[in-house]
Amino acid sequence: MLSSTAAPSGFRSRNLGDPRRHVDLVLAGAVGAVVVIGLLLVYSATRRFSDGNGFVLRQTMFAVVGAAGAAGLALVDYRRVADWWQALYAVGIVLLVGVLTPLGAVVNGTSGWYRFGPISLQPAEFAKLATILAIAAYLGSVDRVDLRRLAAALGLLALPVGLTLLQPDLGSALVFIVMGIGMLVVAGVQMKHLGVLVSLGIVAILVILNSGALDEYQTERLTSFVTPNGQSYNVDQAQKAIGSGGLTGYGLANGPQTRGGYVPEQQTDFIFTVVGEEFGFLGSSVLVVLLGVIIWRCWRAAQLAADALGTLICVGVMCMFLFHIFENVGMALGIMPVTGIPLPFVSYGGSSLLVSFLAVGLVQSVHMHRFS
Amino acid sequence: MDTNSTQVRLSAIGIVALCLFAALFVRLWFLQGIDRQRFEAASESNRLRVVHEEGPRGRILDRNGRIIVDNRTTIVVALDREPLRKLDESERQAIFADLADTLTGLGVPTKLGTVERRYADARYAPQEYVPVAEEVPEDVELYLAERAGRFPGVVVERRTVRSYPYGSVAAQLIGYVGEINEEELADVRGGSEDPAGEGQAPSTTTTAPGDGPLKEYQPGDSYGKGGIESAQEATLRAVPGRRTIEVNARGEVLGEIDRTEAVPGDDVWLSIDLDLQAHAERLLAAKIRSLRGRESGEGTLNAPQGSVVIIEPGTGQVLAMASYPAYNPTILVNGISSDLWEQLNDPNNGRPLFNWALQGTYAPGSTFKPVTALAGWRAGAIGPGNEEIVDGGTYTLEGCEGAGCTCQNAGRQKLGEVDFARSMTVSSDVYYYRLAELLWNDRVRLGDTPIQDAAGEFGLGSATGIDLPGESPGRMPTPENRRAAFEANPDVFLTGDWFTGDNVITSIGQGDVLVTPLQLAEVYATIATGGVRYRPQVISKVTRPVDPAEPPGEPGNYEVVRTITPEEVGRVEMPADFYLKLLAGLIGVTQDPDGTASGSWEASPTAWPMGGKTGTAQVAGKADSALFAGWGPVGAGVPPEYVVSVVIPEAGFGGDVAAPLAFRILAPASDGSLPAACPVAAAAQCRAAESQAAQASLDDVGSGGPG
Repeated sequence: MLSSTAAPSGFRSRNLGDPRRHVDLVLAGAVGAVVVIGLLLVYSATRRFSDGNGFVLRQTMFAVVGAAGAAGLALVDYRRVADWWQALYAVGIVLLVGVLTPLGAVVNGTSGWYRFGPISLQPAEFAKLATILAIAAYLGSVDRVDLRRLAAALGLLALPVGLTLLQPDLGSALVFIVMGIGMLVVAGVQMKHLGVLVSLGIVAILVILNSGALDEYQTERLTSFVTPNGQSYNVDQAQKAIGSGGLTGYGLANGPQTRGGYVPEQQTDFIFTVVGEEFGFLGSSVLVVLLGVIIWRCWRAAQLAADALGTLICVGVMCMFLFHIFENVGMALGIMPVTGIPLPFVSYGGSSLLVSFLAVGLVQSVHMHRFS
Repeated sequence: MDTNSTQVRLSAIGIVALCLFAALFVRLWFLQGIDRQRFEAASESNRLRVVHEEGPRGRILDRNGRIIVDNRTTIVVALDREPLRKLDESERQAIFADLADTLTGLGVPTKLGTVERRYADARYAPQEYVPVAEEVPEDVELYLAERAGRFPGVVVERRTVRSYPYGSVAAQLIGYVGEINEEELADVRGGSEDPAGEGQAPSTTTTAPGDGPLKEYQPGDSYGKGGIESAQEATLRAVPGRRTIEVNARGEVLGEIDRTEAVPGDDVWLSIDLDLQAHAERLLAAKIRSLRGRESGEGTLNAPQGSVVIIEPGTGQVLAMASYPAYNPTILVNGISSDLWEQLNDPNNGRPLFNWALQGTYAPGSTFKPVTALAGWRAGAIGPGNEEIVDGGTYTLEGCEGAGCTCQNAGRQKLGEVDFARSMTVSSDVYYYRLAELLWNDRVRLGDTPIQDAAGEFGLGSATGIDLPGESPGRMPTPENRRAAFEANPDVFLTGDWFTGDNVITSIGQGDVLVTPLQLAEVYATIATGGVRYRPQVISKVTRPVDPAEPPGEPGNYEVVRTITPEEVGRVEMPADFYLKLLAGLIGVTQDPDGTASGSWEASPTAWPMGGKTGTAQVAGKADSALFAGWGPVGAGVPPEYVVSVVIPEAGFGGDVAAPLAFRILAPASDGSLPAACPVAAAAQCRAAESQAAQASLDDVGSGGPG
């Protein structure tokens, strides 16, 4: 593995190891493009509201703050960040506990938000990042993942999963689980252990679905995509919007389903229906490809990472994004159950946008500091 | 951490990611590439509403172009059920309760139950708006429009409904408009291109009903019920328009996509003279009210109903057709409650919805005598040399013994020497008893039915074919149909045989003979024209306004779509000497001092002499029916202008009751002093005229003759 001495100051460093020479411009470009598309879609989805411009303005503000945060984080060596994993993880857990107390606001029957005046924060989003760091730091420092370490890592994962389920926020809990499994696989968990884990998971899901622990509407949402006849109104309208977009769509702000407000939660969970209706197959493909580029660059950063810590951070972020994208787009397309998780960089929502930027910042840091 | 193994595992995760993205693309292509059209259609039906707009019906005018039935705009609160269906039961309930409370609070009493019933009404297509409150004031429209967010799925529409500037005038004649019912809807959709087939005489339709543009019906549309509204449905109905609008998820209108304007229905002109119609109705009502409760020898005068028909004899055009009791069609504009419906059809109220002038059937009594006379003249039973008898007040059938064998004049009046003409003037029954017996006894030569055959030539026993629905054919008894009725129902009838006595009572228009007041007018119109029978017609022409903003009857402001021409339907051959004597006899009724209506004619004479005949028909267990039929002017070379028939059951003598009313109605018409019809807007002034008419009726004197 290459190592380098400290770089002299100066922007155009001659030092090949200088992190600033190794910014992943493709990743940055893809993120930038997706954010701009996202702003257009939020504009189209919210212009029928009385304070339509407010949505775009707030989202732009978060994007600017997020980009700055990502840039700042990228410049810091991810190893220094990972040194603080216990503290960050602890803060994440405290925030998740706090949101269950009366400090948290209840929105749509879920207590997943802190509310500060006009701005709401979703602690689960920040906890995702903290958990990635924690598991990566814990497993990256060992050569072999034995049963004891596996159990410890599962413990780190179980805590946020349990707390988000209490909100209840099934979508976020699933994100933690998928993220965790991805990181465990890459960290080298033994196949037999993984097999047992997956089997247990399947049994657990079946038990939960049949035990009545979930509200009826949750079960329905999770199973409705299997039986298209019982399709919910949301999914029905979402597919009408996307399907009628055809090859090129109706054009920005011209989608009849979008204009008429037929798709509920369109600026957040169902934002993909806007691109589907107004930009058609071509526009949707561009967006999905750009999102794919982000995944690909995370995957590549994981491959190129200087150490296991870097690899695992990138895998965690990649899995987080991958699940968000597949679940969110798949839900709009009717091939995934309806759970309320945002499309990274696109859905309206400050916490999600901010955390997505910070996550990319971490990946950039891994990429940039691979020679240091 | 084993680097090789890490690379392998990373690759595996990369492959998983690729597969997931591939799945998204496949699904995306499936939705947008392959199934696009299906979703496009689904999206359209989601947000596009086709609003069916009925358009205004044609108006109904009198012969001088005055509007009898007009249109006005009313504001209706309706439900667009599409967005409401997406709501929870409880949310919907809350909106309905809020709506009912709000409307009631704004002065439009609305029950929650009504709103719920309308929401669940399966007769409306899913996309059709269903009305929940009609006749809503404008401020309610504004109030709801400003709070569209609070009342998703509630729309406020403007609709056109009927208005009646003259209130109840000609109510039964014009009929009314109501919501089309399931049966009617099935009818008009079942391929029948003429929704108002019945009552529409073939000759009056120069344009085949199926030729025009399609006038589709939707549930909730208006439909003519009864009278002209029903008979002329195909003409009056507008060609519906369509409006395609885009709505959002809350049911709020975003814009209009497409619009086809409705084409208003054509205006129908009646042959009715509004002034004469109103005048006849007013006097008929006053007369009946003054009769009710009086006692006569035959029982209490109940006068439950009555009618007056006035026809122009040379064309068959109906100038007035009054039926009492009347009702105000304004109360039917927004639908009929079952209570109201029962009230309007209750025999104890005289069935106001009934047009007694063509739906009521009565024994014609002595007004039938000209028919019997014609049969007798043709048979040679009376005629030159053998037309005189001595009327001793009673007549005993030949070869018959017992109480039932002797028939008498009304009041056993001895009329002395009576020839054919005088038998009319003084109304001798004995003269016709004898005639009837002669005809029956000579049946081998004459056949069983010379009287009925003559009656048939005048149109009795079958519908006149007037361009109005619901007409009764009346009844002419014959030995043949007597037997048929007996064989069909042996328990109901005493006998199926026809006796001399049957011929005798038929000859004076009693027994089983039943005619409508319209048929009676038709008989005397035929006499007045010397034998030419025209189909009675109420519609004179159909027009389209040139400038819809101007009055439809303004000369020069309409183009004629079609004109209804007089239609001759038969000729009654009357020998000249018979006809002259008949005329002399019928003129004598009003002009001869012994005439049965001469006293009342003198009390309110018409500007010209009239011919006519009184009738007093006995009805078992009830007071007599009073009838009069006649025409004027009479005289050599003077064409007759008016034929009138008046029929009031349970009212007393024809000469006392019916004839005076006929003269009072025609007197102002004869000298051009007819009072103008009274619009509702000027009702206060009209009350004076009404009480005046009532007073005049009370003062009427009869000549005392019952016949």
